[in-house]
Amino acid sequence: MRAVTLSLANAKHRLYERLGELGLPGNKTEQYKNFAIKPILAKEYAFKTPTTSEPKEGAKLLIQNGVVLESPKGVRVSFERDFKADEGHYDALYFMSHVLADFVIRLDIDADAAFELEHRLDAKETLLAYRVFVQTAPNSKVEIFETFNMEGSQNGLLLYGVDAQVARDSTLRWIRNQNARADDAVVIGSHSFNVAKQGALELKTFDFGGGQALHLYKIDLANYAWSDAQHLLLATKKARRGNVVVINHNEPYAKSVQEARTILKDEATGIFDGKIFVSQAAKYTNASQNSKAILLGENAHMYAKPQLEIYTDELEASHGSTIGQLDEETLFYLRSRGIGLEEARKTLVLAFANVLVDTLGDGEIFDRVHAEFDKTYYV
Amino acid sequence: MNIKNLHAKIGDKEILKGLDLELIKGKIHVIMGTNGAGKSTLSKAIVGHYDVQTTQGEIIYKGENILEMEPEERALNGVFLSFQNPVEVAGVNNAYFLRTALNTKEKHRGEKETNAAEFLKLMRRHVEQLEMKPDMISRALNDGFSGGEKKRNEILQMEILKPDVIILDEIDSGLDIDALKSVSEGINRMKDGERTFLVITHYSRILDYIHPDYVHILQDGKIVKTGGPELVKILEAEGYQAIQKDLQCEP
Repeated sequence: MRAVTLSLANAKHRLYERLGELGLPGNKTEQYKNFAIKPILAKEYAFKTPTTSEPKEGAKLLIQNGVVLESPKGVRVSFERDFKADEGHYDALYFMSHVLADFVIRLDIDADAAFELEHRLDAKETLLAYRVFVQTAPNSKVEIFETFNMEGSQNGLLLYGVDAQVARDSTLRWIRNQNARADDAVVIGSHSFNVAKQGALELKTFDFGGGQALHLYKIDLANYAWSDAQHLLLATKKARRGNVVVINHNEPYAKSVQEARTILKDEATGIFDGKIFVSQAAKYTNASQNSKAILLGENAHMYAKPQLEIYTDELEASHGSTIGQLDEETLFYLRSRGIGLEEARKTLVLAFANVLVDTLGDGEIFDRVHAEFDKTYYV
Repeated sequence: MNIKNLHAKIGDKEILKGLDLELIKGKIHVIMGTNGAGKSTLSKAIVGHYDVQTTQGEIIYKGENILEMEPEERALNGVFLSFQNPVEVAGVNNAYFLRTALNTKEKHRGEKETNAAEFLKLMRRHVEQLEMKPDMISRALNDGFSGGEKKRNEILQMEILKPDVIILDEIDSGLDIDALKSVSEGINRMKDGERTFLVITHYSRILDYIHPDYVHILQDGKIVKTGGPELVKILEAEGYQAIQKDLQCEP
């Protein structure tokens, strides 16, 4: 990774220090140990540094190879070079992406808004690093539908991430729809969401495909803040995909709900590493976490690690994890009504996924997520 | 349907030990027996449940041995089991499920498939007849249903799929009087002189509503006695021991 080493010499000092403290992740690094990170980082890439731009007004926010080409009305785009990143983040690649990116793409959203954020990548065998920062306004509702178009991005590495400040009494609904083929760029997203007093974060991630991708989140909740994180993962072929999520209850009366559902076909590997941390100060909080996985392929693997770390007695908390195959009795019930085995399996897999997809409600986003799921499942 | 010398086991335990039973077309057959006699195993063997391994014998239906068929093939050929404990399937809409099953059957028979609007009309009519709550149509299959609602839902499926051989495994268990009446009326609506019923029950009260033609006593994996409705009265008055004594006296 020659290009990376050269860039680090000029990096922002404090972030570089944090990166140095954590060290580059390897196969023994807790968050990456089932992701096979070593060969990804050992590979040589061309290094591309995105430039600032003057985006034209468009229907969506379009970022092509790290350059903002379009932005929707109501979203102010600027480029911040001295961005104050989250120094408490646990992930080395969070700092690495900040170090490598010359600036952060800053999105200020002053009122209610709903728009698509499309990442378009078409550079081959290239390491691309950029970051997006979102700031909501108090008392606003913002919905961002994040999508990826990675045609032509073969064998590259995208190191990106979102830093978001969810303002007091505001709601940020972040929906990610990611679908990747095996030869697309590897995506590593390292994110930090900070939810202020009485703010709400709805994080819904739909991650399908045969490629390699890992998202690492740190979510911080203030007094009466609320977070609902849902992750649907459908991995096929030899994919390794997953989510690492740390939710910090820092103050009293915060609430977090988290549900991960994973479907693994063929030889795919799924990762769910979730930790809810409740500090001593975070009394009267409520936290629940659940991970369910279905293994459809004989050689599919699921690594699930739900964890609670609690330093107060006055709270409600629960967590659970199940990994299994489709329930035989339920399959039989469907077959006893004339539905063939394969159709019965598909029906039950869809039912398992629909518990999360249906939360999108009717509309274009639901249709697009559903279509991506079908495209991946039925291949 | 002719069941000949049927042997079946669950795990290593042999449950059915050479069972013979002929189900006559258009008639209502009732099977009664003590706990563990093999009643539910028989129903599972007929529909091809994975728990049951048949080791000998055959079940001839429409000229074929259905033991060689997959469960869905048996269903498409007209065999239906109303489950004792129907499973709950979160995420699968009740109407979607039933329409898929109906369309699969229609396709198998080379018939025109019922479209969504026609199906909804059909389902609404049956839901009303069975005195089910209208929201059963849009709810997930059996998910959160009470015991009575599940049994009514089984009858709803039966009425819409219109099978030829209907096995009702303890359809009356856990039902209050009103639910028992609705379920019995559903069964009676299906009686047309062509359909065959095999009713497995512990109690005689459902028989007050559906009037059986034959009553069979199942003991230790075999049918040991067959008679008419009067057999139920003997059972009620004297219990299974009377049947046992009777059998011992026979030459």
